[in-house]
Amino acid sequence: MRHFSTIGVLALLSFLPFVGLAQAPARTATATKAWTPPKTPDGQPDLQGYWTNITITPLERPANLANKEFFTRAEAEAYEKQVVDRNNADRRDGTPAQDVSRAYNDFWWDRGTKVVKTLRTSLIVDPPDGRVPAMVAGATQRLAAQARTRVGRATDGPEFRPLAERCLLWATAGPPMMPSFYNNNYQIVQNAGYVMILVEMIHDVRIIPIDNRPHLPGEVRQWLGNAVGHWDGNTLVVETTNFTDKTSFRSTSKDMKLTERFTRTDADTLMYEFTVDDPLTYVRPWTAQIPMSKTEGPIWEYACHEGNYAMTNVLSGARAEEKAAAEAAAKGSRK
Amino acid sequence: MKRHLALLVLAVSISVYVSPILAHHAFSSEFDANKPIKLKGTVSRIEWINPHSWIHVDVKETDGKVTKWMIEGGSPNALIRRGVTSQLLKVGMEVSVEGYQAKDGSNRANGRDITLADGRKLSVGSSGTGAPGEQ
Repeated sequence: MRHFSTIGVLALLSFLPFVGLAQAPARTATATKAWTPPKTPDGQPDLQGYWTNITITPLERPANLANKEFFTRAEAEAYEKQVVDRNNADRRDGTPAQDVSRAYNDFWWDRGTKVVKTLRTSLIVDPPDGRVPAMVAGATQRLAAQARTRVGRATDGPEFRPLAERCLLWATAGPPMMPSFYNNNYQIVQNAGYVMILVEMIHDVRIIPIDNRPHLPGEVRQWLGNAVGHWDGNTLVVETTNFTDKTSFRSTSKDMKLTERFTRTDADTLMYEFTVDDPLTYVRPWTAQIPMSKTEGPIWEYACHEGNYAMTNVLSGARAEEKAAAEAAAKGSRK
Repeated sequence: MKRHLALLVLAVSISVYVSPILAHHAFSSEFDANKPIKLKGTVSRIEWINPHSWIHVDVKETDGKVTKWMIEGGSPNALIRRGVTSQLLKVGMEVSVEGYQAKDGSNRANGRDITLADGRKLSVGSSGTGAPGEQ
């Protein structure tokens, strides 16, 4: 229910710029009620605590909502109902293939039932159409070349399995940090020189120096990139470069520059914005905005390797299929 | 680039090297759609481990022989938040499981539906079902 008050304030704030000087008294009245972001004992904006970015709002605006930047409250509720119904995997009315795919029902998921509290129809706020911009020609060729090296080899061995399946890196863990299907939780801890972000999936800890130091030399590459932060008023700005070609966010190259902005906007909200600037992939930079909400801790350790039996199952399943296929072929040739 | 995970209705846009695959792996690579199973047994052990929990179930056959099964469940982190904890699901409990058997023919299956003796379904999370986490 806290969302309603947040939306009310946001609606009011978005209206204010259009209010003329004649309305100044009303504006002042609102300003006196404005929420003051907390500070740490040493005077820095205090972003600490447990946060969640769980939402069903998609990164990109669905085609049927083109030109519609915001839902009304009623539209948001209708959309939420539609998505929740669609995600219902407990139905058993499909083919066996559909049924096995729906085995990931809500025993597995915790992907949320609500749109973002700003009522935006997409997480992308720029470009204004809410869509990822077009790719440059070179990017398409690069991606095709990468894909070719893996064709037909998906179950050859663990090295060909996705990083997430290998418990190495969760694709939405970031940076940038995106909502995923479950465990959308984060803990922020600060001290004078650093901000630490614990990402529940799948165990990453981002330790960001906030002294605006220079980035590592260009030849030093890291899976999570090299993050450097600074305060811009009440906003934490984190710029990350020096990525590798082992990870990628929405097809970005290792030379992406990612800029994240964290701002407390009310007692319940940490506004998270990120801008992807990657001329090797996209014709223009693009920005998404995800309001993160306060949540409760603790965040349980996600010790992924401990129980990763599934890797064995996937590979032994593939070997069993190959054996069955070989036996069938041998049988066929004997006839 | 976009790749569609076989059999999964939800198409997820992914990169070549990192994919936000549904959970950690496709059930289609691990379990066989042509081998649906239904079993009833006693929980003998629960592994509350990530990425996925495993519920061990002893199934008594009609001839009295006990067959051991392993049922794959959700991430413990998510389950605990839903109220599926070691207080709810315990060794010695009777459970019914519907799922699909591993492709390699071993006695492992995914937990498509897991029902406790009192009728509560662990695997149902839709609104209004009274599933754990709904209260």
